[in-house]
Amino acid sequence: MVYPSHHRQIVEELMSGKFLLNNEEHFNSLKENESFYTEFFKISFDLELIMKPEFSYLLSKDTQENFSRDVSIFIAILSYELDRDGRNFIESFDFNEFTFEEIDNYFMNSSFIDLIESNKTLRDNESRRTLLNGMARRNIIFKTFEDRFTFTQAYKVFIDFAKELALKRIKGEPETQNAE
Amino acid sequence: MIKAEPRTILNFLNTYFDVVRDLFEYQQQDGLITKEVFDMICHKHGAQMKSRLREYRVVRSIGSDFEMRDVYFKLMEFLLFEFKPLLPETIEKYKGAISELFMKIRKSEHSDRDILQERIKNLSGQVREFVDLVERNAFRLLSETRDLKSNIDRVQYREKVHKASFWIEYYILPLNRILDVNHSESVTSKLVEVCEYANRKRLDYSDETTRSEYEKLYTQLIQTNQDLLKQSKILTNELLPLLERIRTESLILTGFIEFLRNPYKVETPPLLKGTRTMVYAKDMYFKVREFFEQFQIEAPVIVENSEADFDRWIFDRTLFKEKLNASMPVNDFFGWCFKALKKDFDQIETDKFFAVTGLLFDEELQIDYSKKSERVSIETTTSVLDVPKLKIEPAIKL
Repeated sequence: MVYPSHHRQIVEELMSGKFLLNNEEHFNSLKENESFYTEFFKISFDLELIMKPEFSYLLSKDTQENFSRDVSIFIAILSYELDRDGRNFIESFDFNEFTFEEIDNYFMNSSFIDLIESNKTLRDNESRRTLLNGMARRNIIFKTFEDRFTFTQAYKVFIDFAKELALKRIKGEPETQNAE
Repeated sequence: MIKAEPRTILNFLNTYFDVVRDLFEYQQQDGLITKEVFDMICHKHGAQMKSRLREYRVVRSIGSDFEMRDVYFKLMEFLLFEFKPLLPETIEKYKGAISELFMKIRKSEHSDRDILQERIKNLSGQVREFVDLVERNAFRLLSETRDLKSNIDRVQYREKVHKASFWIEYYILPLNRILDVNHSESVTSKLVEVCEYANRKRLDYSDETTRSEYEKLYTQLIQTNQDLLKQSKILTNELLPLLERIRTESLILTGFIEFLRNPYKVETPPLLKGTRTMVYAKDMYFKVREFFEQFQIEAPVIVENSEADFDRWIFDRTLFKEKLNASMPVNDFFGWCFKALKKDFDQIETDKFFAVTGLLFDEELQIDYSKKSERVSIETTTSVLDVPKLKIEPAIKL
């Protein structure tokens, strides 16, 4: 059997929780063989392959994923603070480079300080570095230097989540809640 | 006086929390609990409920209606984080109380020690209540203004501006005046003044116990000033520019604000769960058991005694050397080796053959090569060896 090109890289990166981005060479191979990979991941590992025009990722049935919650809180607070600062946060995510220092300033002066201090991955500079490194490993951000980064298009997963939540709340729909 | 033990009351609150919460919500909404509502809430829990609510002093009668006592009301406010915003006029009264006590403390510096210490303690109590109210109010205002920004009810911009103006005029600006440390009439500037005074007195007051009271007040005020500064920053950064902030509206930001209300009760986007097994992982117990169980399986080990003869032949160089010397001259050395072995064994293994051919390196032998390059074929159990025909003679000793 002949496997698509970059097969091993595609499988290894997706299975390690990475987002594959459309500016990467192996993304094209994945896109060209979408139906094969959808079936491959479903039958081999019972995982769902999500294909978007700008990125792709895998998700598992078990959604008790703390990383997703921490990143959601991080992006939500950052969006709120950028807006409060008079900046268009979507434009900032798309085009701006952020420094760790800038992030620290936003977080330490945020009115969500109680929430920040109660979250062990956000509560101080060191914890936030660790979270950002985890986000870099998963291709949610791209580290341009040791203390600078830009967001990749993968941030849109969290933007879509916010939109869906807003629509549900506006319509007054009940939500499924996590068992704590 | 309450006859019941404190733990009994807490147990009651724990068991019938829903009842107390319902009473709290009605009181918060209507300012009192009407008799009809009170009967309705207590009805499903039997006749004893009413008497217990009175006995534990959760409610008191106001004519034919009821109201929740302040201590329970504040407790429920705190537990549910549902603070009613207070008009700053209510908070400002603390300025009067704090100023009055401070003035009396300064005047009675050299009078009765006990009343001085009591005033310091009272001042400390007033400061505690003041900070608590400011924090609760700031929290409530933040919540209200985030609601405006989030605009989950999708109200029109005009209405949003009207609401924002109301909050700014009656709550945010007056609160800012109370907290503005640069304003000489603000409560905060008064607290700074008290703090400086307490700092001096904790060092130079003649009586030790009073010095200790000043010390406690000073420590409390240092923390208080930091907390108030934090609240003042929130007012300046977030509440005062409210009109500017509600100008823009975004569905995404609405979602994020709603999410941040209680981020641990909303399902976040599912991602791939890591496969790394931690010691506390769900399947760790099974994995560890599987790992150790592999050593518990003791497969039977059967040792079979081989019936076959084990060939322990060791080349006896001296013996073969003697045989070779007796046969000299030998025209075909390798053929002779084969024949010599053949006398002892039916089958000749290659290694036996090579062992005997080692005699060739004896210095006492002279080797002649066939001029015709004749070759001989030797067949062992595993190989057919093609070797040259060599003539062996004793070496001529000089």
